[in-house]
Amino acid sequence: MIYKIHSTNLDGKTIYARIDDDGLCRLTCTEDYPELKSWLEEGNTPEPADQ
Amino acid sequence: MTMTLDGTSGVTFNDTSLQGAAASPYVLKNRIINGDMRINQRGWTGTVVTDGTYTLDRFIAFTSVASKYSVSQNAGSVTPPTGFSNYLGVTSLAATTLAAGDYYMITQYIEGYNIADLAWGTANAKTVTLSFQVYSSLTGTFGGVVGGNSNPAYPFTYTISTANTWTTISITVAGPTTGTFNSTTGRGMNIHFGLGVGSTYSGTAGAWSSNTYYSATGATSVVGTNGATLYITGVQLEIGSTATPFERRLYNQELANCQRYYYRTTPAFVGGRFGMGQAYSTTASIILTQFPVPMRIAPTALEQNGTANNYSTLSNTGSGVTCSAVPSFNQCTNVLSETVFTVASGLTAGNATVGLVLNANAYLGWSAEL
Repeated sequence: MIYKIHSTNLDGKTIYARIDDDGLCRLTCTEDYPELKSWLEEGNTPEPADQ
Repeated sequence: MTMTLDGTSGVTFNDTSLQGAAASPYVLKNRIINGDMRINQRGWTGTVVTDGTYTLDRFIAFTSVASKYSVSQNAGSVTPPTGFSNYLGVTSLAATTLAAGDYYMITQYIEGYNIADLAWGTANAKTVTLSFQVYSSLTGTFGGVVGGNSNPAYPFTYTISTANTWTTISITVAGPTTGTFNSTTGRGMNIHFGLGVGSTYSGTAGAWSSNTYYSATGATSVVGTNGATLYITGVQLEIGSTATPFERRLYNQELANCQRYYYRTTPAFVGGRFGMGQAYSTTASIILTQFPVPMRIAPTALEQNGTANNYSTLSNTGSGVTCSAVPSFNQCTNVLSETVFTVASGLTAGNATVGLVLNANAYLGWSAEL
């Protein structure tokens, strides 16, 4: 499971996509989402957005 | 009707049941939500891979190593105890040897607002009683913890003497006079049912500790036996030193209690709507979904089933335009969500639209779990 940058919302806030091991995105979130915070605290870095 | 009053033993009714202490107040007697394991909004069943997986509503499965046990509603299809239709079923998937820092457990976090009157952490801390029904393929002494967020912790033990038989358990805990317990929207209290916890997180039963514990020293490890089962239901935490009958709540009341922490909407038929909204470009619209009850906090994430073409939004001609990406989070308050529905083309900025499903199992979900 990884997170990657998904988009910017209408208020300019970054939205992240969680990509599960099967390659599907089942969750999108802001940087305030607790599980993303924990993942970042473990030293992980979100992948850049698709071009 | 025969009723016996005894100044020492309490009140004995003609069915021989005994009330040994004043009953707890009926309203909000049980501080556990979904204690009868009825509500399963996520439809959860299966192996616990991720530490901190939400299973049946309000019950979290912790696993320090992935895939050591599974959780399902009514696993094994045994007859629930009298008066219950559901239970949370744990099945061990391996014979796991515990390392000191390992933990496998089922937990419910209780919101601070729902335990503030217990006055825990003060000289007026109230005594509580945790009761539940349990069924296991194993016998022996099992463990768990009642405690604050991380600490203090009160490890407890309970005994299952007969395998594969429902056993009623009651544990009374004198309220702690020290420690800090959240009394608003945070984690006020943790209830852990150990399935196998290493020495680092196991403490002496029957005493408060300032350490972080998840179970009691010497407790049986369910995950230590491949195929072992532990089923639980009727979980109740109430004020007082006596367990009273499980508090029955109407289904809609308990569902609403759960939806304060998690809400999933499944339109259930092709073409079912999530809500109305507005296109803001030719390729995207914002769809509003009202939560049925105010959530604990504003959610910060959106869940969906992972397949873009299960979702659609309407063009200005009223025809559905299949999404080219899965719906994504835009923003939320604790009563209203905004979800972005993205398509390749076909929308008109400024026009009203709706968000809908093209697969009856597609859903949108929001979490405000503790």
